[in-house]
Amino acid sequence: METNNQQQQQQGAQAQSGPYPVAGAGGSAGAGAGAPPPFQHLLQQQQQQLQMFWSYQRQEIEHVNDFKNHQLPLARIKKIMKADEDVRMISAEAPILFAKACELFILELTIRSWLHAEENKRRTLQKNDIAAAITRTDIFDFLVDIVPRDEIKDDAALVGATASGVPYYYPPIGQPAGMMIGRPAVDPATGVYVQPPSQAWQSVWQSAAEDASYGTGGAGAQRSLDGQS
Amino acid sequence: MDQDEQDRALPIANVSRIMKQILPPSAKISKEGKQVMQECVTEFISFVTGEASDKCHKENRKTVNGDDICWALSSLGFDNYAEAIGRYLHKYRQAEREKINHDKKYENPHINRAPPPPLLLSRVTRDKVENPPPSPPNQSG
Repeated sequence: METNNQQQQQQGAQAQSGPYPVAGAGGSAGAGAGAPPPFQHLLQQQQQQLQMFWSYQRQEIEHVNDFKNHQLPLARIKKIMKADEDVRMISAEAPILFAKACELFILELTIRSWLHAEENKRRTLQKNDIAAAITRTDIFDFLVDIVPRDEIKDDAALVGATASGVPYYYPPIGQPAGMMIGRPAVDPATGVYVQPPSQAWQSVWQSAAEDASYGTGGAGAQRSLDGQS
Repeated sequence: MDQDEQDRALPIANVSRIMKQILPPSAKISKEGKQVMQECVTEFISFVTGEASDKCHKENRKTVNGDDICWALSSLGFDNYAEAIGRYLHKYRQAEREKINHDKKYENPHINRAPPPPLLLSRVTRDKVENPPPSPPNQSG
């Protein structure tokens, strides 16, 4: 149980300088106090996106009232749980909670992976992006065996375009507030479901490509997106 | 991942659909990327279940419930998840309570209530039913 105590101490240390310590703060290995400000700005943007993601998800949960339809099959979740020989019985609510937790897990790991893909100016999410996201994030340490070591390329620099301040899952300015991910939005005037323009989100992400490239950060600063937002 | 392993993992189509929700429309996901995510989320379930199961075992309980899942998430450092799922559990239980109360309120105890089968009647009652006493003769004046 020593590892748990260490984790708690780490979290306590992080809480003082914000949950995602920027380069040079909170003792990130290899990132000295002389890290260039643009790199700090990059990390702050990524940190901000993850915070927005969680606040958005909390809001979604407050408005949820359908517990029957899930994006992941409950029977399969139960089957995975039952694969553990120590598990005898499972309450009806457990797979329902896991369906939601897994959804959040996939979304968070995808965001973190996408940030890595964007740093490398790619539009395709690859295995090594997920590997990098796992390596950078303490809570995903349990996944290190899933991705082989050679997949984890230690990028010397965090370069290039990053996602803009407003991520894809957050409604852009001018869009109806009722819009949710993957679902049609309600037109406040008519109350009728309308499909948002397909280009709306594209412009949000593409604005990143027009931004100036950020300076080089130390390789050790990769681990600075650890912990929880 | 062979067929047996596939059966013990979440469907890749569902996982891929969730991934696409959060990515911009122009983004693509490689096949390997989807497969790795599928493995990761399956491992996530096993990891959290193991922790929740240990708690049940220590407390001599047989059933893993929602509180155990929330506790396990928190214990493993998934603080954001624990907070969100705790709230989700609260809302789920609230909805279940309302559903039960609604069902009780509108349930008519006399509808669809079949009479007890004859075998459940006492022997004395059964004798009376099968061999009724002779009715008194009609006295017509």
